[in-house]
Order: sequence, then structure tokens, then C-alpha cells
Amino acid sequence: MSNSHDHDHKAAPMVDEVSDFEALEVAVRELCIEKGLFTQADHNEWTEYMHTLGPTPAARLVAKAWLDEDYKQLCIDDPVKASLEVGINWITSMPSNFGTPSDYCNPRILVDTPTLKHVVVCTLCSCYPRPILGQSPEWYRTPNYRRRMVRWPRQVLSEFGLQLPEDVEIRVADSNQKTRYVVMPVRPEGTDGWTEDQLAEIVTRDCLIGVAMPRADRKADDKRPVIPAIHPYGH
Amino acid sequence: MSNREKIMRHLNIVGQLQPALHQPQHAPTGDLIDNAHFRAYTRASHDVGGEADVPITWEEKEEEIWEHNTFVTCEVLAWRGVWNAEERRRRQNVDVGQTIYLGLPYYGRWLMTIALILVDKQHVKLTELIDKIEEVKQRAHKQDGLLYDAKGHDL
Amino acid sequence: MSSSHHVEKATNVGDPQCFKGEAPPAKFKVGDRVRIRNLPDIFYTRSQMYLREAEATVVKLVYESPPAEDEAWDNTDSPEWFYSLLFKQSDLWPDYPKKFEADTLETELSERWLEAL
Repeated sequence: MSNSHDHDHKAAPMVDEVSDFEALEVAVRELCIEKGLFTQADHNEWTEYMHTLGPTPAARLVAKAWLDEDYKQLCIDDPVKASLEVGINWITSMPSNFGTPSDYCNPRILVDTPTLKHVVVCTLCSCYPRPILGQSPEWYRTPNYRRRMVRWPRQVLSEFGLQLPEDVEIRVADSNQKTRYVVMPVRPEGTDGWTEDQLAEIVTRDCLIGVAMPRADRKADDKRPVIPAIHPYGH
Repeated sequence: MSNREKIMRHLNIVGQLQPALHQPQHAPTGDLIDNAHFRAYTRASHDVGGEADVPITWEEKEEEIWEHNTFVTCEVLAWRGVWNAEERRRRQNVDVGQTIYLGLPYYGRWLMTIALILVDKQHVKLTELIDKIEEVKQRAHKQDGLLYDAKGHDL
Repeated sequence: MSSSHHVEKATNVGDPQCFKGEAPPAKFKVGDRVRIRNLPDIFYTRSQMYLREAEATVVKLVYESPPAEDEAWDNTDSPEWFYSLLFKQSDLWPDYPKKFEADTLETELSERWLEAL
């Protein structure tokens, strides 16, 4: 069986037998429910919560900060409070009322300047600020990104299309514990007089991770190949 | 597959051919393992920062239904107090060992870790797990190998 | 059924907020120079090997929490202070290009991993 993906075509369907991954997934979930560890309703409720997540609140947080120095300072001093103003409560937005188990409640906003550029990686796993940014991208989870970003950040960033002069300090934030980082990039030129909505539109997910920089004419992240799923989840 | 695609596929496959240096014996005696190798063998597999690797194509990925369900099950198990996320990470990213760590898919490890915690914490006997997996596979066999509908609901 | 500390302690409070006040007084303050201890990493660690024996500056006291090495077995007996630490890339990597001397790396470690320089 091929170990590589042919990205122009659909993933090869496994017609002969069910995937061991799918069988195990159903098996463990049914057992959890049968043994009373959680209910199907719990599972559905968390799914519904996950559906609410995406990068928009983080983009709005950055846009608000660009327009309001006091709010920018709040983002630095009290990111939980700053998140509330874009509709995200790191503690009670989700069904648990104690935060998401994997993302905790200690967001931190990393403020770029013209001479300081942040980029985020989690070398140990793929920790990511899901409550305010949504699910992590595939590339962020790869051992490859996690191996190289801490040691060769400029090389890796150039693969993402970002090259910075030597008088800019690149600071890699390795989110290895309970803090979850969001990058606040520098507001780009050509955006004078823009509304918060217009500004938020150019603060894309890749900008919030730090592998891209916002530009007035950039409204979407660079297109990359998409590995197809055999049975894709789409809601 | 076009001729150029065949060439690229060849490059992918040969890139995966690595020489393997075999030790003269498995389970060597202690005098053959110095501290540097003890450390290497007992390392925490998830600690990959700074290791050499090559430029690759950065890709996005469609999520499988089983992957979504696995993620949700992990979070709900923590919500309902069966484990905390750090226990999950330790089991999922280190206890699995080096071969599974690099050999299985990312969410494959999350999924295996759910299965093992159920048995380790005595919520489920291993024989129950085995029987359940078999039951699910037999069910799928009667459903053209499918366990989910196109919307991701269980069949 | 075992119930992990998050549900008991952290409801409506959050984690790591629920450990506030439980650690012994912080040993280090912002600006302190520290070295990362190369303790055994047997079975589990969230203190990356690439940091060990390197020198760093404390830039923030971030929160109190059980160390990950204990929390990974659901033990929350001994919270300690966690610090955000700033490293120069040229101190971490012998082959880091000299022209990018300004580049840095920031990451968090709990107190047990630090010794004063």
C-alpha cells in the first residue's frame, strides 16, 4: 500500500474491511457510554461546543487592540478579560465550566513590534489556543514543524513565505506547559481609517500563529495541499 | 499517474529507505549500553525540539469522522473526571514508546490511549474491549464496511 | 470512579487559577539569570532536552501549578511556581547564524528545573 498521498485524487477507500481506527473509535465510545463514564448527550454537547470555535475571535481581539491602546494593554495585562470582550470565556464558554481540559485557562498574547516577531510552536505535542483560535492545522502537529521551528525558525518561516531582516528579533514561543499563545502582529501599512471588521479580516489564522504577517491585500491564508480524508468529518 | 508523478513517487519512496544499523544482539548486556545510549533509549519520545529534519510540503488535512470523535471523547473523559489532559499526554505521547510515536497517526495515539485508560483504570476488562472491537467489526461487515453515515452519525 | 482534580477544584475557577496560593514562595524573580537543570527525564518530562544546561533569564512568573511530571499521574500535592524563560538562540544552538544574534526563544518551566547562576 502506498505510504504517500496523491493529492489530486480522493484518498483510496478501504472497501475490503472497516478501518481498525474506525472500529476502535466506535468500540471505545460505546464502552464509555455503557459503563456510564459519559453519555452520548455529553459527546454531542462537546461536539456542538467545538463547532463554535474558529479564528474569528482572536482576529477581532487583534483588530480591537490595533484601534485601542487601552484594550491592547488589557490584552497584555489580563488576556482572560480581553478575551471576554470578543465573546470568549476561557473558563465557562464550554460545557465543563473549568475550561477545556486540554487548553487550560491561561492565554497569553504575544505582541509583535517592528523589531520583534513572535511565532508559536509546541515541540512536545501540539498545544494550541483552541477556545479563541479553533482547531490546530495539520502542519502544526507534525514532528517536522515541532523539531525544526525552535532551532531553524528563519528557514522554516521562509518555507511559509516569511523572511525577516536581521535587525528583527524572531522569538519562538514553545508552548510546553499550561499557557496558550496567540500572536498579535504589527498592524500593516495601507489600513488607515479601517473599521474593526476590515482589520479583523486580514488577521488570519496563520498570522495568529506567527507564520504569516497581515497585509492590507491579504484576506486569506496561503493555499496548501489538503490531505483528503477517507470518511471526512464535515458539519 | 503521469510520468512526472511516477518520478516524484520514486523520490518519496527512496527517501524512506534508510540503512538500519543493527546491534549485534537484542536485549544487550548492561556493559554494552553507556549512559548516552541509556538516555537515548529511555528518552521521552515527544521531546523532539531541535532534532534535524528536512523541508517538507506543509499541508492541511480533512478531518476523519473517527478523528473528530476521538478528540471529543478525550475531552469529554476529562470533563467527566476520568483523567486530566496531562495524564492523557503522558500516556499518549511518551508511554506509547518510540516506534508507535513516530509510526502511528497523530489521532491514532489519542485513540489507543482512550482504549488503554479504560482498561488501566478498570472501567473495562481487556476481554470486554476485545469482544466489543470484534462486535463492531462484525457490525461493520454487515454494513459494507461502514460505521458512519456521510454526516458523521453512527450507522 | 476516580475524579480528577480539575472537576473538583477548577469548576468556575479555571486551571491553573485553582492552584493560586498553593506553591511555596517563588525562589526566582523577573530578571534572574538561571541555568536549566539536567535532571533525569525518565518516564516523563515537559522540560525539553534542548534547554538542559542552558542559561536563561526569567521574564515572567506565570502561575502556580503541580509540575507536569506529577500532574501526569494526577498528583496535585505540590504545586510550584512556573516561570517564563527567555533564551538567546545563540546560547541554545552552536550552529545558529551569527548575523541573527538577536533571535530568542521563550518557554515555561517549573521551579524544580531552575538553578541560580
